[in-house]
Amino acid sequence: MTREGPLRASEPGDDPDLADVHAAQHDRAAFAALYRRYVERVYGYCFYLLGDHHDAEDATERTFLAALGAIDRFRDDGATFRAWLFRIAHNELANSLRQRRRRRTTPLEDGPEPMDDADPARLVGVAEDARRLRSAVSRLSDDRRQVVVLRFVDGLSAREIGVVLGRSEGAVRVLQHRALRDLAGVLGRHP
Amino acid sequence: MTQPPSAAVRLDHALDSVVAGRSPAVAAAAGAFDASLRQLVTLGGDLRGAMPVPVVAPRFEARLGARLALAAQPLDPLAWALRHPGRLIVTGAVGSAAVGVGITAFAVWRSARRAPPPAHRLLHR
Repeated sequence: MTREGPLRASEPGDDPDLADVHAAQHDRAAFAALYRRYVERVYGYCFYLLGDHHDAEDATERTFLAALGAIDRFRDDGATFRAWLFRIAHNELANSLRQRRRRRTTPLEDGPEPMDDADPARLVGVAEDARRLRSAVSRLSDDRRQVVVLRFVDGLSAREIGVVLGRSEGAVRVLQHRALRDLAGVLGRHP
Repeated sequence: MTQPPSAAVRLDHALDSVVAGRSPAVAAAAGAFDASLRQLVTLGGDLRGAMPVPVVAPRFEARLGARLALAAQPLDPLAWALRHPGRLIVTGAVGSAAVGVGITAFAVWRSARRAPPPAHRLLHR
């Protein structure tokens, strides 16, 4: 599936979801708009971290039910709504990972293939490169993998990722830099 | 004197552009990066392409949407009872038992108050 256009804005003072959040705080039925906007991205975050569609669905379901239950407590005083939502997803993922340590999971490299309508030979090459890249991501440490997924799959800013992971913006930037250096090393892409 | 931004900060700014849909080459050129940082910006673009948002199963999306819609409704006791007949029976049974226990306790208390005083008290009169 092709990614929708980039999400607008990422700083607390300019949260594009605020109007919908306020509407949902007055009438919970209005939460549907937020659900439709974020269900794919939350699911993507869960899928790339858990590597299993069913587990990702469970974690996504728990995330949105928890978010709906806690929507009255959201305050736009330090984080955007999506950072708050992904923070809930992060906590649900931590629970899921604890609960299913013994179960076998699909490796991350078996994730969805990027769509392209170029010629078949090129498609095979692109798919192979993508698989190698996902495989390299799956071997990163937990915190670096989370930063990569939140940044490049979900499009969160370093500041928002800091809210999700409970770290400073600077720490996230350093993690991101190190994650990309690690990946470049694994893929033999050092100049 | 202010220090120049670190490599991690400069890289992050370039990746903001990549995440927003700009070409990695353009983003790297705008930051006047060396070959090493340019390579990382390119890698960021490749990651964006290699890790698409997976498709959510339509059945799952609809089912969760329906659950959220149900959870979003204000609590209506009649609707709740109709949705959970089993719980209604249990609630009724527990409620009846509680009323029964309460009435029995009250009756015992009343009869204890009305009972004649013990015989040894009468002896002292």
